Amino acid sequence: MIDYQILFPFLIFLPALLGFVGCVIPKITFPFSVLMLLGYALGSFSYIGSNTSYLYTLVGEGGIQFSVDSYSFPLIFGSCITLLIVFGLFFKKFTHYYYQICLVLLSALLISFTTVDLVSMFISLELLGFSAFLLIADRNDRKSLFNAFQYLIGGGLAMLIYLIGVVQAFTFTGSFLLEDLVKAPETALCLIVAGLLTKSGVFLCGMWVPNIYSHANSQSSAVLAGCVTCAGIAPIARMSQILNPISDSMIVIGVISAVIAAIYAVFERDSGRALGWSSVSQLGIAILSPTYACSYAMQHGICKALLFSTLYSSTVDGSSDSANINIKNDINSKLSVTNEFLRVVVFIIASLSIMGFPFLAGFITKNWIKYDIPYEAKIIYTTAALLTSTVYARLIFDRIKNFIRQPYARSIMTLSRASKNISDLFSSSQNYILLFSIISLIVASTAAPALFTFSAVQSAIVSAILGGILFVSVVGIQADEFVKPVTRTLDLVGAPFLVAALLLANLIYLKI
Amino acid sequence: MDLTPEKLRLIPMVALIIIGCFGLLNSKTMLRSLLSLDVIDTATISIFVLIAASAGSQTPIVTASRYSSYSDPYPQAIILTAIVIGFATQALLCAIALRLGRRSPMLRYRDLEK
Repeated sequence: MIDYQILFPFLIFLPALLGFVGCVIPKITFPFSVLMLLGYALGSFSYIGSNTSYLYTLVGEGGIQFSVDSYSFPLIFGSCITLLIVFGLFFKKFTHYYYQICLVLLSALLISFTTVDLVSMFISLELLGFSAFLLIADRNDRKSLFNAFQYLIGGGLAMLIYLIGVVQAFTFTGSFLLEDLVKAPETALCLIVAGLLTKSGVFLCGMWVPNIYSHANSQSSAVLAGCVTCAGIAPIARMSQILNPISDSMIVIGVISAVIAAIYAVFERDSGRALGWSSVSQLGIAILSPTYACSYAMQHGICKALLFSTLYSSTVDGSSDSANINIKNDINSKLSVTNEFLRVVVFIIASLSIMGFPFLAGFITKNWIKYDIPYEAKIIYTTAALLTSTVYARLIFDRIKNFIRQPYARSIMTLSRASKNISDLFSSSQNYILLFSIISLIVASTAAPALFTFSAVQSAIVSAILGGILFVSVVGIQADEFVKPVTRTLDLVGAPFLVAALLLANLIYLKI
Repeated sequence: MDLTPEKLRLIPMVALIIIGCFGLLNSKTMLRSLLSLDVIDTATISIFVLIAASAGSQTPIVTASRYSSYSDPYPQAIILTAIVIGFATQALLCAIALRLGRRSPMLRYRDLEK
């Protein structure tokens, strides 16, 4: 029997260690880090759903408390899978020190998923903010640098607000533990929650999300959407489990966030920004139910990572500069017709999964949340689901249109090339990853066969069809007039104050 | 609510936070918002130190002659991390400002947000 008091801290700091070693000897460390990610994913996957929990205290009596429990396992699994997808699909495009930053990011994520101590949470979220800052600035042009600046100054202010909340709670409770927040005053709770919401990017605090996702590299967007925004979910879920006023306010915030961000996404013309708004809306849904928040965030993170990885074809990376370079050596592009086709298929499957289409992973998590929330929230929840299917109907439509417009698209349809296409399918490792992700998204839906009642399947299919119809009816609206992108720094920075004030008003006077 | 001396001591720090937030929300250039963030950072750290000192203001070090009233060492130990993190944030923000300053030396948001 291994002593898990030593094992777990070692496992938490192993990614950061590998990341720093990887800065010195990058080529040798990379396979080890992939192996480690696979190990973490398998290890955490075997614990999902079981009620296993390990409590331990670092450095003896009065030290830092960690709790590896049912909140952490799904999120660890989701982040590892996201990083594996990004490593597999974008390895050739990595800039210097890219995967090392991802590994340090994973360490910060592991701390924030497992800790039950407010100060460790602060440190891990700040480390996470620095790593995310480097990932955003990785594209290294003027706009992405400015986006990174906005993210860092907004995140830094949010964390200071969080810290003020922590010290106020400390004067009342005398400890920094999450479970002692029961005795803390409302003001402290509001400040803490406002800081966490900004980090996880839920509605008003999450206005940085669409700007950054649309402009950063696709690999950075995938990591940000899949891992970074999940970090705030675990502590929020833990807090709403023990604090009733917080869980009630979370339902209000989640519902507002889900609907309004989905409306923004419907009227957004740029695919990257639409995905960003939809991410805000999905995380709003995730915080509705503390029990299933982590599973929902896991499913959403993996699907979003797949969506961002396959949003553009592999030769065109969203930016005009790299497209010009890649067109010159189009030896690869002829070989990769099947790869392109596979990318479109993965995009469609992942979109359908987020829509909650039956026999995909999203259907399970959507229904878990649906049966867990109060009846009043359920109506608005269904509205948000409908708007989500509208968004993804448009995204699928745009993706297929882009694919067919390519000159090589027709060769996939001709029967004479079918045998060659099939042999191409198994030629590169990227195809294996894409195929494997399709299969596992479908297989994941067998996790809870009890949910496949006739009415649930029927409502999911009807909502998908209605989304398509709604898309056709709004496609002609000139939305550029009234949906302007929010890019001013003032708006991004001031949002946490507004949310903290709203929460305080809710907790003290409205008591919803 | 009664005003104890411990609470009265916090008033300048809260005023400093408000000044910092005002500066952050009204700044027209990058450098000013960077400095405002530093003001809020310092105010937060001071609040931690003052709250730790509410039990007593003598150094919490065990020696042969013991003091009667210690300050609480726990928040002080923790705030060291926050000081370092605040410093790191400032360094990263300054690096970004240096990079962006080559193209638009005034670092005004009006120019940068296009």
